[in-house]
Amino acid sequence: MKIQIQGVGKEFRVRGAGRPFTALDDVTLDVRAGELLTLVGPSGCGKSTLLDLLAGLTEPTSGRILLDGAPVDGPGLDRGIVFQQYALFPWRTALSNVEFGLAAKAVPRKERAERARSYLDLVGLRGFEERYPHELSGGMRQRVAIARSLAFDPDVLLMDEPFAALDAQTRESLQEELLRIWEKTGKTIVFITHGIDEAVYLGRRVAVMTSRPGRIKRVVDVEFDSRDGDLRADARFGEYRHQVWTLLRDEVAAARTEEVVHVG
Amino acid sequence: MASLSTGVTAAGLPAGVSAGLGRLAATAGRRVAALGVLAALWESLPRLRVVDPTFLTPLSEVLVAWWDLLLSGELLEHTQASLIRSLAGFALAIVVAIPLGLLIGWYKPVAELLDPVLELFRNTAALALLPVFVLILGLGETSKISIILYACAWPILLNTVAGVKSVDPLLIKSARSMGLRPVRLFQKVILPAAVPTIFTGIRLAGAYSILVLVAAEMVGAKAGLGYLITYAQFNFRVPDMYAGILTISVLGLLFNQLLVRLERRFSTWRTT
Ligand SMILES: Nc1ncnc2c1ncn2[C@@H]1O[C@H](COP(=O)(O)OP(=O)(O)O)[C@@H](O)[C@H]1O
Ligand SMILES: [Mg+2]
Repeated sequence: MKIQIQGVGKEFRVRGAGRPFTALDDVTLDVRAGELLTLVGPSGCGKSTLLDLLAGLTEPTSGRILLDGAPVDGPGLDRGIVFQQYALFPWRTALSNVEFGLAAKAVPRKERAERARSYLDLVGLRGFEERYPHELSGGMRQRVAIARSLAFDPDVLLMDEPFAALDAQTRESLQEELLRIWEKTGKTIVFITHGIDEAVYLGRRVAVMTSRPGRIKRVVDVEFDSRDGDLRADARFGEYRHQVWTLLRDEVAAARTEEVVHVG
Repeated sequence: MASLSTGVTAAGLPAGVSAGLGRLAATAGRRVAALGVLAALWESLPRLRVVDPTFLTPLSEVLVAWWDLLLSGELLEHTQASLIRSLAGFALAIVVAIPLGLLIGWYKPVAELLDPVLELFRNTAALALLPVFVLILGLGETSKISIILYACAWPILLNTVAGVKSVDPLLIKSARSMGLRPVRLFQKVILPAAVPTIFTGIRLAGAYSILVLVAAEMVGAKAGLGYLITYAQFNFRVPDMYAGILTISVLGLLFNQLLVRLERRFSTWRTT
């Protein structure tokens, strides 16, 4: 499924303030079908706001978003979201959490458990089906959340800084796993991060956003001769990394002054 | 008296148990020991004339009185009358307060409408309203059950409202993103998330149902443990009075234990 974001703006009405707060301003971006695109930007630039719009949880103030040519009309099971804070239902076991989306999709009860099991398997959680979220580590919880989103077989996976709360080692293994799953399933993935390394490592293209109000500053194509071996040690990796870093540097500085002005 | 305290110690320190059980027994032992000390004081203070035994009957005599009341069938009758009232008020409170609380927690307009009234009433002690209940509903069962219902409804209502309101917005967002409509969202996310908080309210209500009961039975009742206590006091059957008090304490304790267990069963996931 391809995504077209065309001149999208989002304003929030803020209580007590006279004029609305502009979070996104004229965002235009195409995500190709089956692509893994990473989106980086300084904190507060509107990344999550854009993701909510893609998910259909909120509506843009201006512009439009098309999914395979059809405008987004509310949330739907053609898109799955993975949040930074997992958003698992704590009263449900891992298996039952994965089944949740299947129930929403009206998959017959008998099929649900079997399918949920196979997706937990896919993310390497065989044997943890009956654990409750509080009995799992952060990395495992995020695996459950990913399995939950994959299980109802959406065309698009929207991921909002999914690995930001994890330790470096867990993060790296989940990144590799995500790439493996992406290659296996061919889903369109929009992956939000504020980590430059992560953006370059995962993204086939990296979209860099400006500071608030968020806009797309540049889209960087990331190409390697070969992705085998230690990609992060590749000289090209360093170049891409530096390129994104440079693009971001001014924005981060701008975001910081903005903050100071706001506080003062 | 001496035989009583040695009996407690012996039961508190069972010999020849495994290490894990040993620790458990130690805790239990300490609890039993505290109760033992209380029992010993209750027995010895009146016997040693530190307090007047006419007003504080020694425990052993209270137990004898209790036994006599049990054999005569009187105790059962009073306990039954009390339990029916408590449970009726308690059950009705659950039936009324949970749906109302869900409504208030979920629909903002309802909350805004009812908030001032709720604020006023929740700050009025239930027992202060007892005369009003008697005045309007008379001295019969209706007013007794109503006052218990009233007292029990508050903790359940307030906890239900709080439970619904404090559901993690991210969970709601996540469920909405999977296309859940409001009714399913309520059923699948809001309700299960609120269950532990609601149960805390139910447990509190259980305690209130016993607390208010006694007061309610002190006016115009013909049976019930509260009646037994006041009646015994008027007729100077002091040991019977203590037997009644003891019974009601144990009843409250058992009821609370039961509810704590239930609460735990429904909130196992909340141990983060
Ligand atoms: N519902 C809302 N109401 C008002 N302001 C909001 C709302 N959601 C987000 N914002 C503001 O919009 C800006 C962008 O937020 P967000 O999209 O969360 O940023 P990011 O995810 O890039 O860190 C922030 O300044 C935030 O305070
Ligand atoms: Mg964000």
